[in-house]
Amino acid sequence: MSDPVPLLELRHVVKRYGAVTALADGNLACGRGSIHAVLGENGAGKSTLIKVISGVVQPDEGEMLLDGTPVRFSNPLDAQARGIVCVFQELSLIPDLSVADNIGLVSPPRRFGLIDDRAQRRRAEQLLARVGVEGIDPRARVRDLPLSRRQMVEIAKALGRDPKLLILDEATSALTSEDVGRLSDLLLRLRREGMCILYISHRMHEIRALADTCSVFTNGRHVASFETRAHGEDEIVRMMIGREVSQVFPPRPAAPATPLAPVLSTHDLGWEDRLRGISLAVAPGEILGLGGLDGQGQREFLLALFGGLGGCTGEIRVDGKPVTPGSPLAAKAAPLGIALIPEDRKTEGLMLAMSVADNLTAATLSRWRRGPLLDRARERSAVGDIIRRMQIKAVPSLPVATLSGGNQQKVVIGKWLLDEPRILLLCDPTRGIDVGTKQEIYRLLRELADGGCAILLYSTDYHELIGLCERVAIFYGGRVVRTLEGDGITEEAIIASALDIHPTTQPAA
Amino acid sequence: MSGAPSRALATRAALASRIDLPLFASSLCILAILAIGAAFNPSVVSPHYLIQQLQSAAFLGIVAFGAMLVILLGHIDLSVPWTVAAAAMVSTGLAGQGGAGGGGGGLLALPIALAVGAAIGFVNGLGVAYLRIPSMIFTLGVNAVLQGLMVLYTGGSAPPSTAPPIARALSGGHLIPGVANAIPIWALLGVLVTVLLRATPFGRAVYAIGNRERAAYMSGMPVRRVVLGCFTLAGCASALAGLLVTGYAGKAYQGMGDIYLLPAIAAVVLGGTSIMGGRGRTSGTVAGTILIVLLQSMLAVMQMPDAGRQIIYGMVIFVMLLIYGRGHVLRT
Repeated sequence: MSDPVPLLELRHVVKRYGAVTALADGNLACGRGSIHAVLGENGAGKSTLIKVISGVVQPDEGEMLLDGTPVRFSNPLDAQARGIVCVFQELSLIPDLSVADNIGLVSPPRRFGLIDDRAQRRRAEQLLARVGVEGIDPRARVRDLPLSRRQMVEIAKALGRDPKLLILDEATSALTSEDVGRLSDLLLRLRREGMCILYISHRMHEIRALADTCSVFTNGRHVASFETRAHGEDEIVRMMIGREVSQVFPPRPAAPATPLAPVLSTHDLGWEDRLRGISLAVAPGEILGLGGLDGQGQREFLLALFGGLGGCTGEIRVDGKPVTPGSPLAAKAAPLGIALIPEDRKTEGLMLAMSVADNLTAATLSRWRRGPLLDRARERSAVGDIIRRMQIKAVPSLPVATLSGGNQQKVVIGKWLLDEPRILLLCDPTRGIDVGTKQEIYRLLRELADGGCAILLYSTDYHELIGLCERVAIFYGGRVVRTLEGDGITEEAIIASALDIHPTTQPAA
Repeated sequence: MSGAPSRALATRAALASRIDLPLFASSLCILAILAIGAAFNPSVVSPHYLIQQLQSAAFLGIVAFGAMLVILLGHIDLSVPWTVAAAAMVSTGLAGQGGAGGGGGGLLALPIALAVGAAIGFVNGLGVAYLRIPSMIFTLGVNAVLQGLMVLYTGGSAPPSTAPPIARALSGGHLIPGVANAIPIWALLGVLVTVLLRATPFGRAVYAIGNRERAAYMSGMPVRRVVLGCFTLAGCASALAGLLVTGYAGKAYQGMGDIYLLPAIAAVVLGGTSIMGGRGRTSGTVAGTILIVLLQSMLAVMQMPDAGRQIIYGMVIFVMLLIYGRGHVLRT
């Protein structure tokens, strides 16, 4: 399948940042017409590997061969000129420009020296159609598109550069399952056309379905490359984290004999046209899942509970008493005790330039006060405790921006654990996070629930909902169309309800 | 496993935080200016001259503290000129010699000035935090409105009454022999602002909002109250400076605040505060203020023609900011 001379080959590539070796021994060979998955925990060196290949950074040692000849890229443009295009995890679109403007950003079609709007729009239409999202209007502002659509635009933009090697770095982590399907079709098509695709993802089932070859990295070292079918999922996961995975999800406790009274309930909650009469209740110790396609109102629902949306209709009750949380400040305060882990940790969860310690105590400053001043000693010991408890790999005085994605997310969660919330809302908390950290987060959520916390978990990963939740409410068009319980929470049931299909067939016996 | 590199990172971070580049660079620059000035005119390094410079630095420095609070949030206060003038005019008008409440040494002038400043700052804060109008536009509008109000109030000329004794005492009196009171007042405010920013939840929130307002809001910080508080304090700072300048000049006059707006912003930025907010220290602002005042004064001492003075003044600001720019690259 792979030709004798691979399209791209890396031999013993090393990249150091100061004293830290991010990539200790990077080896990789990928051929034309293949999909090559790169796997590894966060901090395993995947991102550095991609940055080396796409010319963002230059390797300190080792060599890189393109079509058998050594190459060295001094910047990303260099790499793009040689046909290497990367879709980064961080979206690179400009929110206030139109979709067509973004796709044509680097080299727009010109007429008389000016940008030819019509040609640009046509080109955008073609590329969007190629990706399979004809539904996106090229004239729409990127800001107005949901995250999932933006990611598809990003991919269309990359295809517009006519790559020989396409790198997708966590490109599916923001996609709805529908778009993942479209993207898979596209990738298989591109592979047939002879493109080489380097695919980085944390979603094992996608890798199983798509990749021909897998390469596993641990601690900056290349561990193994093999044909995808050669090893089972468990084996691959074991290689990635270098230890045995007993069970991904912690066991569920037995349901209480008598159902507990709900601590939080909503009655006919509405907001503009995004939430239409939502009635849900969650009891202490329960993990209630919110499922469905992306952007069906799950996010707005959590924000409404956290006081982040003005002008809600209907009723929210905490401990049976009607409340109107007017702001996150009111929602987290004593009688309510609500915490929200927001969707986007970089813009909503963290002050990136501030230290790990300052971020961890940001939600609980009034707790570490003596008189009008902050009690630094108590603050410091609280930070130390939470870093140990959550096993955050971090130096408290360093900016939180220096941490890996998984550790950043732990800081966001740790910030709210310090507040000891009674009701914890989570908005897709494991997006783009490595397997090891995901497991730690699952275990933590179960511990919190066992301690009496009521948890609402929105996740785009169905396996998470299946593995963690006692009940899953499926959102569609701002409504809860179905609530699945216990053994009824299956992938088929979630997908069917998410698409608002009423299954006509009987469940398989 | 990551023990060694993370320790190395930690020590480097500790070092970086101990050596504050903007403070270091502006201190060096201050010394250089003094050295060059002394070469032209040795009397420049006399205690008398230096204390005189510190006194004018105190007026600017008090305004700069207020400006810093607002800039740390990522906002800006352009109403400084007429906040200074309005506080000065209203307080001298009501409590100055020849004014209605001039008795008792015009003690009322201080609370009146602070109240005027607080009220103006409060309005600024309401507009920015609650009406969500960009601070650059809103405070510019407030400045224009204040100018109009003062013209109405004074009839377009300086108010007839002269500075109340308390203003003269605060600015020119000598509690410490040989040192004008404005200097210890400035120092005291510096300590208060440092404590406010470094050791209170309010201060932590200021940095958080400047870094990322959305994340601060989602952490349940009282974002609007903090913004309101900072603008109010900035108004008070401008007002206090207005009262001190009145005491120094003997009376309040039209346009007395005009020379404080841009130099104050320059002092804050030269002191290492990011104009985008979220980063900066009081010590830097103090150094930046002294740098600006010394530079202006030294260029005057050297009898540089005005055109040359402006060019050098601008160049120094450029060069300093270029140096800081490199520092930030190292940090990220």
